[in-house]
Amino acid sequence: MSGRGENPVAPAIRVTDLTVAYGDKTVLWDIDLEIPKGSMVAVVGPNGAGKTTLIKSIQGLLPRVAGVISIHGKPYEKQRKEVSYVPQRGSVDWDFPTSVVDTVKMGSYGDLGWIRRPGRKEHEKALGALEKVDMLEFAQRQISQLSGGQQQRVFLARALVQSASVYLLDEPFQGVDATTEKAIVTILKELVAGGKTVLAVHHDLNTVSEYYERIAILNVGLVASGRVEDVFNSENLMKAYGGKTSFFPERKAARRAV
Amino acid sequence: MSPHQFDIQLVAIIVAASCSIPGAFLVLRRMSMMTDAISHSILLGIILAFFIVKDLSSPILIIGAAASGVLAISLIEAVNRSRLVKKDASIGIVFPFLFSVAVILLSKYARNVHIDTHSVLLGEIAFAPFDRFILSGMDMGPKSAYVMGSILLLNLFFISFFYKELKVSTFDESFASSIGFRPRLIHYLLMAVVSFTCVGAFDAVGSILVIALIVIPPCCAYLLTDSLSRMIFLSVVFGISAAISGFWVANWLDVNIAGSMAFVCGVFFLVVFLLAPERGLFGIMREKRRQRMDFAEASLLVSLYNQEKGEAVKNHPDSRGMFRSADFASKVVGFLKGKGEIAVTGGGLFLTEKGRERARMTLEGR
Repeated sequence: MSGRGENPVAPAIRVTDLTVAYGDKTVLWDIDLEIPKGSMVAVVGPNGAGKTTLIKSIQGLLPRVAGVISIHGKPYEKQRKEVSYVPQRGSVDWDFPTSVVDTVKMGSYGDLGWIRRPGRKEHEKALGALEKVDMLEFAQRQISQLSGGQQQRVFLARALVQSASVYLLDEPFQGVDATTEKAIVTILKELVAGGKTVLAVHHDLNTVSEYYERIAILNVGLVASGRVEDVFNSENLMKAYGGKTSFFPERKAARRAV
Repeated sequence: MSPHQFDIQLVAIIVAASCSIPGAFLVLRRMSMMTDAISHSILLGIILAFFIVKDLSSPILIIGAAASGVLAISLIEAVNRSRLVKKDASIGIVFPFLFSVAVILLSKYARNVHIDTHSVLLGEIAFAPFDRFILSGMDMGPKSAYVMGSILLLNLFFISFFYKELKVSTFDESFASSIGFRPRLIHYLLMAVVSFTCVGAFDAVGSILVIALIVIPPCCAYLLTDSLSRMIFLSVVFGISAAISGFWVANWLDVNIAGSMAFVCGVFFLVVFLLAPERGLFGIMREKRRQRMDFAEASLLVSLYNQEKGEAVKNHPDSRGMFRSADFASKVVGFLKGKGEIAVTGGGLFLTEKGRERARMTLEGR
């Protein structure tokens, strides 16, 4: 299934020398990052660290000053179908006149290409994805009637329909209820267990060790990246957040050990 | 109905249908006022094209006009993207400038050419039947019906070919580009379509009516449906109805036809705005009242339930500060009695079995 454009030895995502600027403000500076296939990775960093910019630039959604992105060893432009994107929930107008199932169906538009319309097969696929995120009963609901957590599930279902091998999520837990958060984590872990790669912008440092295997700590430049137990420590967090964090992973780990 | 009246309505219907279709997307993209910008900027294109071809009836004029509409959109985007000016202001900067350049060129170099700035703005649909399409000596009907008919076909093709692309890029632009569609391309295609529509329509009916027909019918439809395809369909229905009834209002009051069509559009919106079942003003008020009553009933039932085992609440609820007025309290009591959820005996309130059930369900959060 996921063998489409995959090179077995290349990392799922490789970012080389990525630099992005808005006007004269540098948002990302010379990022080199490798995300191994089949890993679940958190992107953390303070506000304005360039987390969303990183997710968007990997997909060529923003003009970059410099840098090369490759997915499974080939340029992103040739691997678009391997990448599935879950934007921030707040980035769209939820009053848009459409139903839940039609929104999820948008995930199949990429495979359909220009002009061809979704049919029975796409409808079934959308319903299947809704079942996975436990939203099947809301299929015909208008999207404006959903709660924040339900909106996020719809977005995830739309990404699942894409049958990609790399998932990029921008703050999937922003403003969702605890049940939804658990449900989304379970689905993401299932994807990873199935050999997919997940990269998510994450805010809550308390849950990093519980949810993710790897982490990329960002503050315009890349502060550190690697396995959570190797790089998620107060030294690196201080580098990224300055004095603005009171979170110390060691203390938490020590508490857990006791 | 005279053939003359028939022709006017025919043109108006075609114009209304072709305006409402792209209008739905403009409204959803919060770009309604782009219509204003386009409809004013096209004068410049018409004049520049006229200087080149020296013929007022040349089709090059239409292309020039549409091109200047797209130019206006691009300039607005450019000013907007600089982030030095806010979006609405960039619209307000660009189109009066282009329009004024056109007016200056017109009065300086084309004084004796018949392009009337007045009819550019107001149009005159009453004259539409006089400009006939003659094919080898045969009268085929008003020319603008053919021009607008082609534009209507173009719009229908555009919407049905690119429905999915328009939908996804209107709803979620960054997602659309992540799956390989090109929202900017779609944006400019849509703008080109709007420009062509404006050019054709404004020649037939004038720009104020064009703005009314592009913006108002989709706004009415938006309040009445939850589906994009139905919204487009309803917009067309509203547009056509406004065109026909506007014509007869004008006939009846003996006033300007385009003006009364735009007026009817406004009246339609007012009615929908007030009366739309769920999203209309009255609907929202009714829903709020229902929620307030629901909550009052539930809280009375629960407080009775808490004092249960058949004991009557001696005090009338309002005296315990539960309700804002005695009137409201007795209304709540009256409703509950009517539903058989409480019984009133000797001035005391008792829960019936049905009321007890509802109180229990309320406490359990349904």
